[in-house]
Amino acid sequence: MAPATILLLTLGVGVVLAAGERPGPGVAHRPRAAPALAGTTLPGQRYDLAAARGHVVLVNVFASWCGPCRDELPLLVGTGRRWAPQGLQVVGLNLRDGPDAVRALLAEARAEDLTVVPDPEGVRAVEWGVRGVPETFVVDRDGRIVAHQPGVVTAKWLEQHLAPLLGTP
Amino acid sequence: MTRRRLLVVLGLGVLVTAALAGLLRSAGPAGRADPVAEVAAGLRCPACQGESLAESRSPIAASMRQVIADQVAQGREPEQIHRWFVQRYGDEVLAQPPTRGPGLLLWVVPAVALLGGGLAAARTLRPGRREAAGPTVPHGRPRSSRIVWWLTAAGLVALVATVAVAADRLTPPATRPPPADPAVVSLRLAQDLEGQQRYGAAAQLYREALTARPDDDAIRLRLAFALLRAADAPGAERSAREVLGHTPDSPDGLLVLGLAQRTTRPAEAPVTLRRFLAVAPGHPAATEIRRLLGS
Repeated sequence: MAPATILLLTLGVGVVLAAGERPGPGVAHRPRAAPALAGTTLPGQRYDLAAARGHVVLVNVFASWCGPCRDELPLLVGTGRRWAPQGLQVVGLNLRDGPDAVRALLAEARAEDLTVVPDPEGVRAVEWGVRGVPETFVVDRDGRIVAHQPGVVTAKWLEQHLAPLLGTP
Repeated sequence: MTRRRLLVVLGLGVLVTAALAGLLRSAGPAGRADPVAEVAAGLRCPACQGESLAESRSPIAASMRQVIADQVAQGREPEQIHRWFVQRYGDEVLAQPPTRGPGLLLWVVPAVALLGGGLAAARTLRPGRREAAGPTVPHGRPRSSRIVWWLTAAGLVALVATVAVAADRLTPPATRPPPADPAVVSLRLAQDLEGQQRYGAAAQLYREALTARPDDDAIRLRLAFALLRAADAPGAERSAREVLGHTPDSPDGLLVLGLAQRTTRPAEAPVTLRRFLAVAPGHPAATEIRRLLGS
């Protein structure tokens, strides 16, 4: 009888603990204040996310040495142009890269007008809790991160997370 | 009875000593000289599987070490720095996350099993109970199960004692620091410089490594890549040609040569790059090159 009791007890403890671990719906996507993002852009202008309040900002962490980042760049740039009138800004946080390599990539993707904040040491990306490239954050008009995509974004993902904030159908 | 008690005390003594030895050993060498490495060792690389931040070579791990260095320089305590990372990456960034949820099972299950085993052992080993229960119980069975319990207990004690004593010898000899080879030192420095996008300086160090190991085409290829990224296309082409002189079908050699030729002799570049694609269609750079050739 004792072994059976112990087996049941162990199972019971396991079930209780495992059930307690399951996160409730929406916990992973709870909005949080976006960390600071300020610096000198590639052409030498000043950029500060704090000054972009009132805009919806798509922050894309990328690098020229990352193939998937290069692949998604045209989509991001296209989205930025399409929804700029509704108040969308797209900002590239360029992780551990060289300025020449990024300029070449932007020229290739016809995205020279993209706002790029270089992060040569990657410390800004760490501030944002970035785990790898590409990674994309949606910052709402109040400066809160409301969506986060580790890895490549799709047109559907962008539509789903940006359209409600921009008030577009 | 006294002899048995002595045995139990001895067994428990061995177990407690072994457990203490294990605890002290896993507490490890506390005196790390580098405070950045010490803080990094307490954190996990969030982009890798089971690697500590101190060991990982991933770009984000290098950035995280930079953040640690900055915060150490500002005089922040290791605990404060760990908390800063937990706020951004969650508990799982800690090398030893607090025990919650399923992780708690690791502690609870052995404890419950030990308790159960102990209870079962106490029931079996308690002398005279079965015999007193009635003459119908044959004498041989409780006695033999008692022997099994004692043998199991002795086996466990022996196992724990052996592990505690022999654990050191099981450590692979690879942890011994390799002899300081100037070429290895140059290579490591060059890779660090490449990480900081200082390709010209990295190329210089690769050249130094090559003087120590003139036949190492792997270093020559790294030199060629570094020169290419330092915008020295003629130098990259020269190094790549040297590699291809030894191994005419080296995919990396053809890749660097083709990329360098886009600057030095643009007419020949597509031919070389197509040869690269023919030799290594599954190369990580192949997709990029196909796109280059396509446009």
